[in-house]
Amino acid sequence: MIFAVMRVMALHLLRDRGALIMAFMLPPIIFVIFAAIFSGTSGDDLHLNVALGIAQPSELSNRLEKVLRSEPSLTFLPKTYANQAELTTQIENGKVDVGVFVRSNLTTTETAPILILVDPAKKMTGAILSGQVQRIIGLEMTDVGLSRTAPVIEELVGGFSAEQSARLLATVKELATKAADPDAQSNLVETVPIGAAGRTGATVTYYAGAVAILFLLFSAMQSAATLIEERNTGIVDRLAVGKAGTDVVVTGKFLFVTLQGMVQVTLIYLVAALVYGLNVASHLPLLLLTTVAASMTSAGLGFAVAAICTSKQQAQTISTFVVLVMSAIGGSMVPRFMMPPWLQTVGWYTPTAWAIEAYHGVLWRGEGLQTISTPLMCLAALGLIGLVVAIIVSRIRLKI
Amino acid sequence: MTRAPVLAALSISGLHTRYGVHDVLRGIDLKIAFGDIYGLLGPNGAGKTTLIRTICNRITPLRGTIQIEGIPNTERAAMRQIGLVPQEIALYGHLTVKENLEVFGRLSGLSHRETAAALEWVRHAARLDERLDQRVDILSGGWKRRVNIAAAILHRPALLILDEPTVGVDVDARNGLHELIMELSRAEMGILITTHDMEQAESICSTVGFLRGGKVSPQGHPRELVAGLYHDYKEIIIEMRQVPTPSQEKLLLEAGLLATNNNLSWSKFEHPDNISDEHLAYELAQHGIHPREIRLREPGLDSLFIHLSREHDQATKENAA
Repeated sequence: MIFAVMRVMALHLLRDRGALIMAFMLPPIIFVIFAAIFSGTSGDDLHLNVALGIAQPSELSNRLEKVLRSEPSLTFLPKTYANQAELTTQIENGKVDVGVFVRSNLTTTETAPILILVDPAKKMTGAILSGQVQRIIGLEMTDVGLSRTAPVIEELVGGFSAEQSARLLATVKELATKAADPDAQSNLVETVPIGAAGRTGATVTYYAGAVAILFLLFSAMQSAATLIEERNTGIVDRLAVGKAGTDVVVTGKFLFVTLQGMVQVTLIYLVAALVYGLNVASHLPLLLLTTVAASMTSAGLGFAVAAICTSKQQAQTISTFVVLVMSAIGGSMVPRFMMPPWLQTVGWYTPTAWAIEAYHGVLWRGEGLQTISTPLMCLAALGLIGLVVAIIVSRIRLKI
Repeated sequence: MTRAPVLAALSISGLHTRYGVHDVLRGIDLKIAFGDIYGLLGPNGAGKTTLIRTICNRITPLRGTIQIEGIPNTERAAMRQIGLVPQEIALYGHLTVKENLEVFGRLSGLSHRETAAALEWVRHAARLDERLDQRVDILSGGWKRRVNIAAAILHRPALLILDEPTVGVDVDARNGLHELIMELSRAEMGILITTHDMEQAESICSTVGFLRGGKVSPQGHPRELVAGLYHDYKEIIIEMRQVPTPSQEKLLLEAGLLATNNNLSWSKFEHPDNISDEHLAYELAQHGIHPREIRLREPGLDSLFIHLSREHDQATKENAA
């Protein structure tokens, strides 16, 4: 009997081309888009559009402009603005993400000679550009650094002798004329990517899991709405007096939606493997286990919502709200480490976070069953609770 | 299949059901023998759907008993002896007729082999051969109704409940459905049918019952019920050209006529010896009433239905007063 219910669902899907495309083609496409977007913004391939302004051009500011414009991660507007207001307008009009304005001599120590002008909606760009500018000056314009620190040292040591001052000046001049030698000094900070060399990006791995659970939830909610349709068309009334009852109907549908979810996730990871070279093959058993648990959760939640709601419109509104909120705070849209601490804590209570954590643990951190067993058990338990709720509510609905 | 002669397909005794704060059913006694077609008639809101839901064990009655083939309806085995045809087209539109029947056969508890055998029987009984491979959503209303019934009889239930089975179908399709229902009656199913179509009830039902005021009364063979109330009286029907004025309406009421169709149709029952339509026409003309048509006919179930409904309305008003 359960197979008969699953067959109805399968034929429904196969004969509705729109639904078929939505179910199986959209998830990999959305994954590719998400991966492309977020591997750009959270990876090392980040490009900022910048406007440059210099209040009083000088030899130093010209050198700074030259080295900034040669920085590959920054794309500058061709024009160099002479005043801060004009530069600000470019940011306000959205022509650039952020601006850098040299307002005074670079060696001045009273006030910061360089301003980073930030759109409040893109605060992160300010931090990135500030770091980039300081790094570039430190590496490419060491004379500026020396000129700015020398007065501080002089004050600390109780003054330089005339000879020391002359030698310092000569060194500064020499540094200013010499091309920067990257081997001349080591950086204070160096970024070291962890993990084995040659592994496909963490962002791609992350978003494969994030998009998978997002689509599982959306798709399950949509498929579960057939329960409401069947209630409205009298099919459930008809079956309620038969041998099957509503338990079989709900269970059959739950199993089908779980299977459908597994196919959807498989397609996403297939694309991840083919397009981004993600190593899926060596993690297949745990990946499958995670997918079963995530699909069960989605199906359970979907049918619980469908059983509780009295109309399809009500179910659509509630499911959209539930999925969007869970996806947002659970990390499907933006990684949770970028969220405020309290939201990161709240996010832990969503199946989205458990699923992402399990997928990322398996595929990126190479974790074993023992490590991911907690999120897996949480997912499976939630799925079963959803199924039980759906069965009980459907039974109650039959009794008027 | 033969049934034990002492048992009825459906047996209801002293059934009281409350829906919210309303006592909807107030002592229903009803029996449907195998092979009987029982027409449950009554105005909207009389409690027909509540009665069906109570039979299907979806509403727990205050008191009274319901037995299906001798088994209390609270037992799962009794439920399996019911075939329910909802008023809606309770089918999967994206499946073919055959696929629908296979699914509902399996869901009614039949094995693969039993479903195949049932499908053979149903396709002949419901004359579905030419439509078996068509998707339900492209079928006409009449064919959908036919499949709607077919899906409920695969497990050969003792009791078939049909809720308004011919709503929205044309005359040909309706006649086809009547044939199918009669065929199922010949297959010894007890059939409970709710309908507002008096012609249908008169032509196919072996028993009809009027549900009003929470009770089924009267009930009996359609012709016997009509004859019992009207004897050899005829019904005079006056079709008006326009809605009568209040003074004309008063006159019509004084003449013993009652409105039946938005005040455009008026009727009364008279013994043939007392009927003179020419005299009636003259009388009406004296008061400025010029009917489009005056005709006589044998009273039918519809006359009885209107009569009983009016009686019930009158009693309700008096009780309220």
